[in-house]
Amino acid sequence: MIKEILKFFNTIKAGDWFIIILFCALIIVSTKFLWNLPQGEYLEIYKNNKILATYSLNQKITKIINGAKGDTKIIIDNGRVRFVSAPCTKKYCIHQGWINKANQIIICIPNKISISILGNKKNYDSINY
Amino acid sequence: MHLNRLLLYFLIGLLIGCSDSKVNQGKDFIFGTLIDIKIYGESKIDAEKVSNEIFTEFHRLHKLLHPWEKSLITDINTAISENKSITIDSNEILTILNNVQRLETQTQNLFNPSIGKLIKLWGFHSNDYNHKKIPNEKIIQELVSSNPSMQSIRIENGILKSNNENVQIDLGGYAKGYALDQAKKILKENNVENALINIGGNILAVGKYGKRDWVVGIQNPRKPNVLATIALKPGWAIGTSGDYQRYIMVNNQRYSHLINPKTGYPENKTQSATILLPPAEDSGALSDVFSKPLFIIDKENKATMAKKLNIKYFLIIMNDDSILISESLNKEINWEDDIDKRNIKIF
Repeated sequence: MIKEILKFFNTIKAGDWFIIILFCALIIVSTKFLWNLPQGEYLEIYKNNKILATYSLNQKITKIINGAKGDTKIIIDNGRVRFVSAPCTKKYCIHQGWINKANQIIICIPNKISISILGNKKNYDSINY
Repeated sequence: MHLNRLLLYFLIGLLIGCSDSKVNQGKDFIFGTLIDIKIYGESKIDAEKVSNEIFTEFHRLHKLLHPWEKSLITDINTAISENKSITIDSNEILTILNNVQRLETQTQNLFNPSIGKLIKLWGFHSNDYNHKKIPNEKIIQELVSSNPSMQSIRIENGILKSNNENVQIDLGGYAKGYALDQAKKILKENNVENALINIGGNILAVGKYGKRDWVVGIQNPRKPNVLATIALKPGWAIGTSGDYQRYIMVNNQRYSHLINPKTGYPENKTQSATILLPPAEDSGALSDVFSKPLFIIDKENKATMAKKLNIKYFLIIMNDDSILISESLNKEINWEDDIDKRNIKIF
């Protein structure tokens, strides 16, 4: 049994190792990175790349935004946000579902509306209050 | 084969480099607030050991100095209210009382740790103050005119006596700062050279974060984010007195825990007063104490008071959103984008 495993290992060539290790590393790095993403605190709504409004994510509220093609409806639900309805044909924005992490973004190109989450900008080590 | 091994080492190195293992963080809830200790450049085990030693010391101080749960301070207060003398066998307490007596005079009685009765009357001797009543004006006036002061306390050969029965010691404006100085000693004893200690917003920097200084954010009193950041040089301390942490709302009016000893009412024209103090044995305690007079005194006299207390770095936010800042601090502070610079007045 052990011999067979060793035999199998011997068939893996340098190039294969390269790919195996690279992908393992990629998985570990991205898990580590994504796991630690801070939860967002604010929602910024853009229309034509201009800020339309900023909302706290810590509330439960439905907002209707008038875009290039019509009304887009979004829901903020205590820390997360999603598109509910949009006048676009593909509905990609709705299929994205909920987002809740800092720097996450959903863009609806046809209606020229995008929403993104801002976190606590961590450019300090501690807060004085 | 050599190539593989090299590659493997490279990737392991990459992974280690990704995690921020240089800072170890410890959190605990003492003094009715959050304690956050960050230690840079020590092993996780060493950092945890030192953090725990500091937390143990803070628990000891909490039990020793608590203003309303049974402590040496409440024992002293009981004796004073019964017009009795009390023998104190703690040199530490004697030193502390001596210090706050001196600081009270230095701050023209605006830091007055003997107004425990007023603080209790306003309902702040409680962990869950959510009452909707302001105290009876007559009782406030009576307490204020009885003129409680630390100067009424005489200590001879360890025996304490006060000639004013209305004196009730409350070290709420001193204890957390004093604890910072104690933490600094513990770090030194353990040869920890780089750390950042935050006790409910009062912060002391020890050493640096690697090659750069520790950086702290200053809370915006009315928004859930910081209004500016500032580098805290090695040994420096920062303290804020604000009306946004401990306060009650009665008829849409805010009453903070920062009571003017001369009126008996909370000061209501200031939102926050922040000071930075240079390295000194008692910089932690002073950063806690000296923010009070700057908060309480009226707007016209704030800069004069800062000068009198030799505070070169101060930042005060008024209720009309005007910002008073010292020239030295203004040179080093990094404002957030949403601050209206037209409201800033430099002293």
